Amino acid sequence: MAQIPNLDNSPLNLKSLRELSQRELINILKNIRGKKCLVIDPKLSGSLSLIIQTSVLREHGAELRHLSADPIQTDCTKVVYLVRSRFNLMRYICSHVHNDISKGLEREYHIYFVPRREVVCEKVLEEEKVHHLMTIGEYPFYMVPLDEDVLSFELDFANKDCQVDGDTSSLWYIAKAIHKLESSFGVIPHVRAKGKASVRVADILSHMQTEEPVNSSDMGGPEINTLILLDREVDMVTPMCSQLTYEGLLDEFLHIHNGSVELDASIMGAQQQEGKKMKVPLNSSDKLFKETRDLNFEVVVQVLRQKATSMKQDYTEMTTTNQTVSELKDFVKKLNSLPEMTRHINLAQHLSMFTSKQSFLARLDMEHTIVEAQSYDICFEYIEELIHKQEPLVSVLRFLILLSVTNSGLPKKHFDYLRRELLHSYGFEHMATLNNLEKAGLLKKQETKSNWLTVKRALQLVIEDTDTANPNDISYVFSGYAPLSIRLVQHAVRSGWRPMEEILKLLPGPHSETKRVGFSSSPSFDTLHRSSEAADRLVADGRRSLVLVVFIGGVTFAEISALRFLSAQEGMAYDMIIGTTNIVNGNTLAEAYVEHLV
Amino acid sequence: MANVSVAAEWQLLSNRFYRKLEIYQMRWKHVDLSRNKVACAPFGGPIAIIRDDSKIVQLYSESALRKLRIFNSAGVLISETIWKHPGGRLIGMSWTDDQTLICIVQDGTIYRYNINAECLEPNYSMGKECFEQNVVDCVFWGNGVVCLTEAGKLFCVADFKDIKPYKLADPIIRMEEELPHCMAVIEPQYTVSGNVVVLLGVGDGIVTVDDDDVRQVESDDLRGPVQKLAVSHNGRILARFTHDGYLVMSNMQFDTIFEYQCESDLPPEQMAWCGLDSVLLYRDDMLLVVGPSEYCISYIYDEPVILIPECDGVRILSNSTLEFLQRVPDSTESIFKIGSTSPASLLVDALDHFDRRSAKADENLRLIRTSLPEAVEACVDAAGHEFDVSRQRTLLRAASYGQAFFGFGSNFQRDCIQEMCKTLRVLNAVRDFVIGVPLSIQQYKSLTAPVLIGRLINAHQHLLALRLSEYLGIIKASRKQEIDNEKRELKICKGISYAAVAAHADKSGRRKLAAMLVEYESRSSKQRPALEFFGTIQARSFARDLFITYARSYKHEFLKDFFLSTGQLQDVAFLLWKESWELGKNPMASKGSPLHGPRIKLIEKAQNLFSETKEHTFESKAAEEHAKLLRIQHELEVSTKQAIFVDSSISDTIRTCIVLGNHRAAMKVKTEFKVSEKRWYWLKVFALATIRDWDALEKFSKEKRPPIGYRPFVEACIDADEKGEALKYIPKLGDPRERAEAYARIGMAKEAADAASQAKDGELLGRLKLSFAQNTAASSIFDTLRDRLSFQGVS
Repeated sequence: MAQIPNLDNSPLNLKSLRELSQRELINILKNIRGKKCLVIDPKLSGSLSLIIQTSVLREHGAELRHLSADPIQTDCTKVVYLVRSRFNLMRYICSHVHNDISKGLEREYHIYFVPRREVVCEKVLEEEKVHHLMTIGEYPFYMVPLDEDVLSFELDFANKDCQVDGDTSSLWYIAKAIHKLESSFGVIPHVRAKGKASVRVADILSHMQTEEPVNSSDMGGPEINTLILLDREVDMVTPMCSQLTYEGLLDEFLHIHNGSVELDASIMGAQQQEGKKMKVPLNSSDKLFKETRDLNFEVVVQVLRQKATSMKQDYTEMTTTNQTVSELKDFVKKLNSLPEMTRHINLAQHLSMFTSKQSFLARLDMEHTIVEAQSYDICFEYIEELIHKQEPLVSVLRFLILLSVTNSGLPKKHFDYLRRELLHSYGFEHMATLNNLEKAGLLKKQETKSNWLTVKRALQLVIEDTDTANPNDISYVFSGYAPLSIRLVQHAVRSGWRPMEEILKLLPGPHSETKRVGFSSSPSFDTLHRSSEAADRLVADGRRSLVLVVFIGGVTFAEISALRFLSAQEGMAYDMIIGTTNIVNGNTLAEAYVEHLV
Repeated sequence: MANVSVAAEWQLLSNRFYRKLEIYQMRWKHVDLSRNKVACAPFGGPIAIIRDDSKIVQLYSESALRKLRIFNSAGVLISETIWKHPGGRLIGMSWTDDQTLICIVQDGTIYRYNINAECLEPNYSMGKECFEQNVVDCVFWGNGVVCLTEAGKLFCVADFKDIKPYKLADPIIRMEEELPHCMAVIEPQYTVSGNVVVLLGVGDGIVTVDDDDVRQVESDDLRGPVQKLAVSHNGRILARFTHDGYLVMSNMQFDTIFEYQCESDLPPEQMAWCGLDSVLLYRDDMLLVVGPSEYCISYIYDEPVILIPECDGVRILSNSTLEFLQRVPDSTESIFKIGSTSPASLLVDALDHFDRRSAKADENLRLIRTSLPEAVEACVDAAGHEFDVSRQRTLLRAASYGQAFFGFGSNFQRDCIQEMCKTLRVLNAVRDFVIGVPLSIQQYKSLTAPVLIGRLINAHQHLLALRLSEYLGIIKASRKQEIDNEKRELKICKGISYAAVAAHADKSGRRKLAAMLVEYESRSSKQRPALEFFGTIQARSFARDLFITYARSYKHEFLKDFFLSTGQLQDVAFLLWKESWELGKNPMASKGSPLHGPRIKLIEKAQNLFSETKEHTFESKAAEEHAKLLRIQHELEVSTKQAIFVDSSISDTIRTCIVLGNHRAAMKVKTEFKVSEKRWYWLKVFALATIRDWDALEKFSKEKRPPIGYRPFVEACIDADEKGEALKYIPKLGDPRERAEAYARIGMAKEAADAASQAKDGELLGRLKLSFAQNTAASSIFDTLRDRLSFQGVS
């Protein structure tokens, strides 16, 4: 299946990582003999589909089910639950067991917690008096490669959990994931963090290193040179802007889920009955997608048109003139790329339906106006109207967040007015939504003067006359706005935090910069010498050293594109790998704060 | 010579020397022992002092409230607290083996304090009978107590770790006639039955009482009435002071071993065993040491003293000093006795010569060559018994000096010296007045190092405790973790599981510490179980947040109580308000049933709580409106008989009303909630477009000049795909740009182009051209117009 991304070209051996996860899962199944019913937490099944094919699971005698409140219908006497450590899931499991007991079914239950067991969950099992019936294990699945340069820790609500609920357990998982990487690829010598959560992760990471040190003496040099940790909180402006790269737009309008989009088969030109959905995988294994995903959508259309034209030309030549065999062969080779071509032409066409809408253009316009931070009143009135027209709440929230963050809050009068209008238009249940946003500092009363203009100017976030076709700056991904987060990374990679401390102080959260030594025992001169030698050798190899950029609270596709653009620059001495709690966009981020009470 | 002066301070009793060492000048100020009840713990433990309420004392500038103060043995204040317990006079106060201060008051209530003067809950009672009869006296031993009531009954707590008072056999004393003269106990560990035995000096004789038996001691030799009784440490010898001024020592069968006639027949105020071979008698200003001899040693004190019996001597506490009286240890005696020629003495002398570079050093060594090992051993031993550091050093140096002459195969001796050095470093460390634990080496050995470390921890001397345990290599896991409780020290031990420590701390009742420690735990899954069994969470942000997260998904009620207790009213308000939604989910609630009552009540409760804080005025108002909306929606559902209103927003309610044709209701909602004209227009226009009531829409447009212009009308018509209707309003749009776009949206290129050129907006023209890309005729119109525009721009 094409859905599992091909990782052959990854700058890091992510393939071995994925194979390890595969093996561990298969071992779990092997250790439970005979036929069994594997009940998977629906949230996990997406992540799992990126590492293993369901057919492989079936080969090992597993009958697959999704976990839900409904009792399991199966003939198997062995039930294996693969779940995250969540209360509500424990409740489901308990109800299943009680249901079986009431029916007099005797089954063998196994629970595998992903990525690790938490005592509180077991406590629920104990309280429900089913704990003794369970065999409990762990499946240490901390991250999944989404692509050859993107790793996801699959923590969907890290951002909201930390900022609103103060639940920082996700930070531990992030640190653990990075630590796991370190145990395969060596201790990362440079760590730069910006933001509260990031600094904490850096702390936990160094704590882990003392607790269970990575023994890097038998590894040669560390493969990853620098770790940059960045809180989503530091830059909430970027994700609130509409992404304009091909992949970004696909995500904004169709929502890419675990590296694929699901849409009506008819859109993809399939001759099937109405309403049938199909999944389109999107990753680097698709060569055309690899070529176009990071481009500004405007350009993608041109590229596709060009390709189509040249194909058409070839075809005409083919039919009109006499061809040699080798020319024929070339042509047939080109034909092989035809399915990819049609796929992306269909997708692009579907997307342009959205992008040509006047409301979308107005939206982009307004986003730029807010980011420019010059005409506050226009923005305020625009948002007011959105609320009055009862436009989708999430898109209103995106604008509110964008306006509040760039102005470090709204003037009290407007703050109260817009909140009231919002409650009147969308219902009082959103009092909780507003409260969440306020707690997270995303929508608040203005108390200080905004730093945004200073930040914008100092980091050159708004670039006039961006050439989207031949970009020379990351600002092409938002047609003129250079994502703040990536600017920070750009500086951090180039010169570290030190020269830009003044700017960092204007952004939320503390920052830190640490140098770590891989050898946990006191580093002697000898070992230090050796490791630096190893680093030199790597550079001499012609391989570029690696930077791992971790986004805590999620990253957008546009940002990933910008990073790829950076690492593709000639002057750049590094390859970049991206780690993230999950892939986000403005909608998913804003959605997380919305309370659904009704 | 130094050596002479050492022995010069000794006193001889029969053939034994006694010495009295001053250990501390007391650091406290204005403490008069005679005005206070004092409890001193053995093994150099703390001293508890509280004003004696059975005495009439003058108050100097001090509060009338009594204070319980706890000092270390050097008089450094460890802690204090105000005593305000009911229950009458404080009768007895003593330290248990684990250094809990037990206080027993008249009505038999037992209050317990730790060394930090924190009262330990719960309080216990000696029982109903004690409560009714009143306790008059009590005698403590290690972990137990026997109380005597006014009615002459005896009650016992055998073990303070498990307080279960029970009544001993009734000695049948007629208390109104004659109080017992004295009372003593034989500790359970020394009795045959394994239960405590109480000795009472009643009338002319002695009565022994145990659990179920009372016996009059039958002995011709009793010489009663007995005024004072003291049982030796090993429970084998009994000292009693008789009415005629004799101190009699006997075995437990009352066979006299030795007797001594004192000058006065007045009974001593205090009587205590000094080791096993002498008894101290204290009365007025005189302290007598009586041993198996016809003479006695006497010391004069011009201030009150308190005798604190130890296993190898007696500590003597006065207002200004703490002294230690003991029999001079054999090794010390052999070295320092005047005229001693013991090998050890000669070895010390040799060192002295050696230091002075005198050749006599060699002579001395030659003299004792054969007995060097025992000389060294004696020096080491004597060093251990010294409190004076320089003398310790001299003796140890002598030992190592001598040891150097043995040649090979003397590992034993060397280890001995090393071991002693280690021990002395520990002892000197704890003897420092800041710590104030003046242990002798023998006490230290019987106390054992782990217990000592435990006591240091209890006294919050964590760093020293940690250092000692590391130094001595005693790393008992739990101990060590407990030691690590201060942050600074925690940093020393990398990779330690804070949660484990926290759990331990919690178990030992130290919740504050536990909560604090959880902050440091990086593994959050370990935090939660640790937190689970905390009853209380202190104001530690991290721990608190975790708790809240846990409680939010699991124990709602618990969380509400927590917020209430911490005064986070707005959070309680949010919880109540969320509960109101839960009620709303109940299917019964949506059918206009009386369940609306409780729901609205909850919201109003939340509103009140919100209004408590100024910062939540907005939420308070919103909650008020919310309640109002629910009422109106409820009424609407009743009047329309359609359950479609509850839980929709105000705007939706208005739209629904209009769609249902109920304009009056819509208007009412509008005025009730002061809906702005702007919003009203959008809502009404969209609602009318939804039901495609174009006439009504037109009428509405003509009511008055719409406050937000005609754009809503145009948009509504275009969205409904009613070009004709839209055309009614497009010309009314004020802005030519808007007009151009509106025309473009309904595909009227020509009109769009005209409007755009009116707006003189080249960019707009370009964009419009794009949207008409398929239509060549239209696009050529745009091109011409744009050319004309740019031409104008140039000119």
